[in-house]
Amino acid sequence: MMKKFLVAVLFVTAGFIASQYRPTPAHAASAVSGVEAYANHCAICHGDNREGILPAFPPLQGITRQMTDQQITEIIHSGRGRMPGFPKLGQDELTALLQYLSTDDQPSAEAAKGSSSLATAGGLLFQQNCAFCHGRDAEGGESGPDLTQSRLVRRDRGGDRISEVIRNGRPEKKMPAFHFSEQEMHSLVAFIHEAEAKAVSKPGGRRGVEVADLQTGNVSAGRDYFNGEGRCSSCHSPSGDLAGIASRYEGLQLEEQMLYPREAKNHATVTLPSGEKVTGTVAYLDEFTIALRDSAGQYRSWSVNKVKYKLEARVNAHAELLGQYSDDDIHNLMAYLQTLR
Amino acid sequence: MKHKIFGAAVLLGLTVLPQSLLSQRLNPADILHPAADSWPSYHGDYSGRRHSPLTQVTPQNVSNLSLAWAFQTNQTAQIKSSPLLVDGVLYFTVPENVWAVDARSGHQIWHYTSPPTPGDHIGNRGVGMYREWLYFMLPDGQLVCLNARNGSVRWKVQIADASKGYWTTMAPIVIRNHVIVGVSGDLDNLTGYLRSVDPETGQTQWQWNATPPSGTPNSTTGGMTWMPGTYDPDLNLLYWGTGNPTPVLNGAVRPGDDLYTCSIVALNPDTGKLAWAFSVSPHDTHDWDAVETPVLVDGIFHGEPRKMLMQTSRNGYFFVLDRTNGKSLLTVPYGPVNWTLGVDKDGHPVPNPDKEPAPDGRLIAPDEGGLTNYRSPSFDPKTGLFIVDAHPSYGIYFAKPADGAYGWAGADYGLWGKGTIEAIDYRTGKIRWKHEVGEGGSGAGVLTTDSGLVFTGDAYGNLMVLDSSDGRTLWHAGTGAPMQSSPITYELDGRQYVLTSSGGVMFAWALPQSANERKLAATTAHPQSR
Repeated sequence: MMKKFLVAVLFVTAGFIASQYRPTPAHAASAVSGVEAYANHCAICHGDNREGILPAFPPLQGITRQMTDQQITEIIHSGRGRMPGFPKLGQDELTALLQYLSTDDQPSAEAAKGSSSLATAGGLLFQQNCAFCHGRDAEGGESGPDLTQSRLVRRDRGGDRISEVIRNGRPEKKMPAFHFSEQEMHSLVAFIHEAEAKAVSKPGGRRGVEVADLQTGNVSAGRDYFNGEGRCSSCHSPSGDLAGIASRYEGLQLEEQMLYPREAKNHATVTLPSGEKVTGTVAYLDEFTIALRDSAGQYRSWSVNKVKYKLEARVNAHAELLGQYSDDDIHNLMAYLQTLR
Repeated sequence: MKHKIFGAAVLLGLTVLPQSLLSQRLNPADILHPAADSWPSYHGDYSGRRHSPLTQVTPQNVSNLSLAWAFQTNQTAQIKSSPLLVDGVLYFTVPENVWAVDARSGHQIWHYTSPPTPGDHIGNRGVGMYREWLYFMLPDGQLVCLNARNGSVRWKVQIADASKGYWTTMAPIVIRNHVIVGVSGDLDNLTGYLRSVDPETGQTQWQWNATPPSGTPNSTTGGMTWMPGTYDPDLNLLYWGTGNPTPVLNGAVRPGDDLYTCSIVALNPDTGKLAWAFSVSPHDTHDWDAVETPVLVDGIFHGEPRKMLMQTSRNGYFFVLDRTNGKSLLTVPYGPVNWTLGVDKDGHPVPNPDKEPAPDGRLIAPDEGGLTNYRSPSFDPKTGLFIVDAHPSYGIYFAKPADGAYGWAGADYGLWGKGTIEAIDYRTGKIRWKHEVGEGGSGAGVLTTDSGLVFTGDAYGNLMVLDSSDGRTLWHAGTGAPMQSSPITYELDGRQYVLTSSGGVMFAWALPQSANERKLAATTAHPQSR
């Protein structure tokens, strides 16, 4: 009885969401290729429904009320700021795109409304399954990162990245995998993006850890620590493996990498009873079994009591340093690493 | 006035007990002295020692341990509950689900699923039992009373309001005619409380509040009561650990010690009146709930017989208290701890103001998950060892004005951690032996037995059996996922079983039945199938 009722509710909900989601532009015939052009060239930054992805990418809803076709064409052709130019965009496609951009905002507003009820459904799932670690508003909480400042969330398009993480979990970070239906997944993604938009528009300074917060250290003290007490230079070099590190990572991510690079691979050499030696990255190691992946990508495992192995876990030096840093050491080291661009 | 009525009710209850003996499944008095073929409450008994006198499985024969049965919940939720065992039937849970399973065969007797509820579904620790009734918390703050025979719902009462931000996960504890329930919820500034309800009607008997109502000037909220406590029948005191204060990482708006958050409290179970309280983490700013099992041990301490209470707290310190009055006997760290200026004369750690979360970050040991967490430790009276799944770890804590003063109010990130099973000498706090169980940490609880065995798990999903005297591995089995619960043991038909769970599967381990028994079974089983 209860099940039947639930199924019916799900069907109705799904139908409702589907009808809300379908954009119905005012000038449907001429805008069709405009929709395509937008989807192909613009949506990745400006959002599926021209809603923008703040703070980096502005919304384009109502853009024709702010700019003339001439100005928009200029920007499309030449680019602006971090936006690349599209000089090769053909006249037909451009016309269609301008036509689409000038369409009434109604469809996207409707989509937004649909998205919001979807997000509400996602919110309930989020509270049940995610909020404990990621906070009720997705702005981080007990052990889980702030999703509203996540690069992955920022880059996510319609759930392509988020749903992958939810489906597979992140075992190395102790995030479990979750099994959600496609509809549930959609709703969760919608909720996370809505939370992201809300967090960005919040007044009075950004919560969480910003790049600007991690600038309290002293560069030369950091360099001294790197070369001296911290013994960082015994494994790392500012002109070698760390060259440009601050361009690859920034802010909290850089600091976490610096303090303990989780994905660092350990190496080991296993000596078999025959005397054969196998070297590779450690794929698995517990008290009873060791497994390596060799340079060809081949996985092999042994019972530890049948072989000898030598572990080369250079990353352990990071764990040892955790017991020795002062907070100033960390801030100084951060200041120094941020000069390595 | 109220108390007198309760007193009268208790007396009345006691006088009618003999007549109802025939129909009841679990006499509350049986929890005082659990039989070998029972595990009648979360910790197995009221002491929280999670130690069994059973000796069939020994260091000598444990290498023959094998699977008796496994039960699949077919749920993605992990089992975090301790099963109860009464009259040959096991009862265990995941959020919104209770199973009754035959302890001999592992087959399902009944399964209760509630309609979907709001509230955090982070976990469920199990059920409490009174006569033929089970008590189960739903994520949205409802307490459900179920008929143990068939899982039918007798009544539901609202213990906490999920719309305000509470949720509930704990296993109710039954003391005489009191069903003691606690609450969770530190994403909002809410008062933590413990409540006693009537097992027959669900009506509130008393409520003890850990903190004043939200909005009280210069005071804290929080102090959630999300793990089952312990009980001393001679002193008639209920011992409970309380959770962290809120806002969680911002301590500026709640100056002082923030009582009674991060505390061990002793309450009268008939009235809810506070006998004493001991602040384990004064003015916590790192989310270190003091809800870890308050283990009750009677023994010699510095030459004197003592009634003690021991806790390996999430904040990294091992506490030994005199449980008659809450006075400290010993406070020592049991792993890396860097957030204090030391320990004061009364045994309270003194928080270092420089280690409160800050805009540019503070490196803290242990991390937010703590040096241990909700899974049970075990006290082995034979060796005097307090054995705990420890988690040496570091995290980084941030807070700035923009984070505000509500709920989490900051951010923190675990950096590194590992799992170590540690055997602590309760008289000195010295670690007698350590056994590393893997990167990240294990999360398994600990069970010890009189035969000298430690049952626990590693970070990779191995069930581990260690020697209590030195921590050496005696036996292991891969179970497919790290254990997120605490093992139990019982003896049925002369056979000792150890129950462990991994993921959504419950495993029962036992020594193989003897050859004779197997032969007998073969000749009598399934005659109709020939």
